[in-house]
Amino acid sequence: MKDHLRAVSGQIIAIGVALLMGAIIILMVGESPVRVFMTLLRGAFGDQEKIAGTLLQTTPILICGVAACIGLRGGMFNVGIEGQLFLGGFAAAWVGFAIPLPTGIHTLAALALAVAAGAAWVAIPAYFRARYNTNEVVSTILSNYVAVLLTSYFTIFLFKRPGGWSETPPILATSYLPEIFTFSRLNWGLVIGLVLAVGAALVFRYTKWGYGVTMVGSAPKFAEYGGVNVKRQGFLVLLLSGAVGGLAGGVETLGVHHRFMEGFAPGFGFDGLIAALLANGSPVATIFTALFFGALRNGSLLLEVDTSASREIITVIQALIILSVSAQVLVRKRGDSQAGERRWKF
Amino acid sequence: MEILDKLINVALIAATLRTTAPILLVALGGSFTTKAGIFNIGLEGQMLVGAFFAVLGSIGTGSAFAGVACGVAAALVFALVFAILVVSFKANEVVVGLALNILAGGMTISLMKAIFGTRGSIVGHGIVGLPKVQLPGARDLLGSWAPLISGFTPLVYVAFIAVPLLVLCYNRTRLGLYIRVVGEKPEAAEALGISITRVRYTASLLCGLLAGLAGAHLSLGYITMFTENMSSGRGFMAVAILIFSNGDPLKVLAGCLLFGFADAFSLRLQTFGYPSYLVLTVPYVVALIALFALSYRARPRVIAETLESMRKLLSVDKSAEPGGKNPQ
Repeated sequence: MKDHLRAVSGQIIAIGVALLMGAIIILMVGESPVRVFMTLLRGAFGDQEKIAGTLLQTTPILICGVAACIGLRGGMFNVGIEGQLFLGGFAAAWVGFAIPLPTGIHTLAALALAVAAGAAWVAIPAYFRARYNTNEVVSTILSNYVAVLLTSYFTIFLFKRPGGWSETPPILATSYLPEIFTFSRLNWGLVIGLVLAVGAALVFRYTKWGYGVTMVGSAPKFAEYGGVNVKRQGFLVLLLSGAVGGLAGGVETLGVHHRFMEGFAPGFGFDGLIAALLANGSPVATIFTALFFGALRNGSLLLEVDTSASREIITVIQALIILSVSAQVLVRKRGDSQAGERRWKF
Repeated sequence: MEILDKLINVALIAATLRTTAPILLVALGGSFTTKAGIFNIGLEGQMLVGAFFAVLGSIGTGSAFAGVACGVAAALVFALVFAILVVSFKANEVVVGLALNILAGGMTISLMKAIFGTRGSIVGHGIVGLPKVQLPGARDLLGSWAPLISGFTPLVYVAFIAVPLLVLCYNRTRLGLYIRVVGEKPEAAEALGISITRVRYTASLLCGLLAGLAGAHLSLGYITMFTENMSSGRGFMAVAILIFSNGDPLKVLAGCLLFGFADAFSLRLQTFGYPSYLVLTVPYVVALIALFALSYRARPRVIAETLESMRKLLSVDKSAEPGGKNPQ
């Protein structure tokens, strides 16, 4: 329990340090840090609609975060969530506008294809990682670029809405993810995300398979002697991670945009990965870190309106948070000199 | 045949050399960290800040070469942060590298908005590009083939000259030897009294130097402007090359020429009316195919090496213990 408390307090100190460095950078770009942080806070939680907006931004980050957690637990860096998100988003949109189905079934079918698309997109890097130990970080990063360009090609050359600008036709209303409130586009996607996060945590904690995954991630030799098929496990972990990444895209399409467009969800995949890292690979903790990043993102929309700072300043803050978390050895060196080496080796 | 003729000619080869240069510079930089046993996914970010600050420096001082110096300085700062976190704090190199890449992307866009008030790109504003070097006598010597060796910006020459220099460095200098020892057998380096920390810092900074040059070449040599995320994955392609070349300069050169060719060829295809989105995927697809194909071929070697190193590790453990306590 004490360890747990220390881990959380360490994370909070790291966030504090990062915010301080962020303040210095904000000063460098000629804005007042207080004003920027207050605007971010107001933009994220200012009123009912703003809070709903924050939750809306949290949804894809949370689902991508769970995808990243699954990979991290199994010792895999799925940096390709961004690409899986784009393909999943496009696949869901295609089912949504091209195949008429009854309400409910239509949504499920679209989500199913999104999941399949995400898994299929990561299948080749996953196969080579499991079989030949090909570095999955590089292969998934490079496949992101291909995914984004490929979905743009589909959208603009094959399925462009007549008269529209780089977007597909709108999906049929039968495939919408229902909205929760009337005043916001916040939809059941958030519930899907929460269920996924809790479900993943339960699987890791209570099932034999989940235990095997965690073992492969933290001690592959031990897992192998224990009878786990490490290669198959690694392949499945990446495939599952990709599937959840695809689902994130499907949820974003069916719940928010109701069509696929070029650059429809930029950066959510990376935000999810960062959220998962900050949560130390725990799906439940990812709920909170995703909420934090969702708030930053939603707050940043107001930032462009009310201050002269650009909204990318929150990207800077996110990166600084991760850097200071990885430098946490500074804080706890006295007690534990191995902390840095152990961090993110689950 | 005529189409083939139009696609492949002297201009294409010259274009290949031009597109190869930035990725070659950054990959050679990464060669130092790879050889020193660091997986450096942060090349992309170092290249990006290099490109941005090179433009800033060029505007500020009115001199392209001062701009290059600024770009290199910025990349060195990123490389230093990387080294501090990875070498001294032993943080996870993938996480730190990715975070620095994200930081580079966000920082350059934020600063661009703060300084120029625009999003997207910096064009004009008095950016001074690097001059083209016309080698005297090239035209007499090679006739119509002269564009192959003359008329490039200086950093293209630097990139290609760096290849033999790196070969010499690894094979003939003390630093090169130390870098290789630290990467391949850190225990041996330690036993010899080589400071692993110092060697890895040096390798990281050399990497930053070349990555900065690569960035400066992108924004001042290759074209004279800065755009958001203009390194567009070249740093990651360089990492892919480093994985299958194991950082050997000549293999790095071969890999980079392949990508340079894919890049130049895809630019050429675009002018023939193929959809640009598909054409733009060519370099990334080539990188992925090369990565997968070569890891498939390396399979027996990987297994053999793993067994070998395990065997060695076990025997070193037994024999090194008495020696370890009593160096020299």
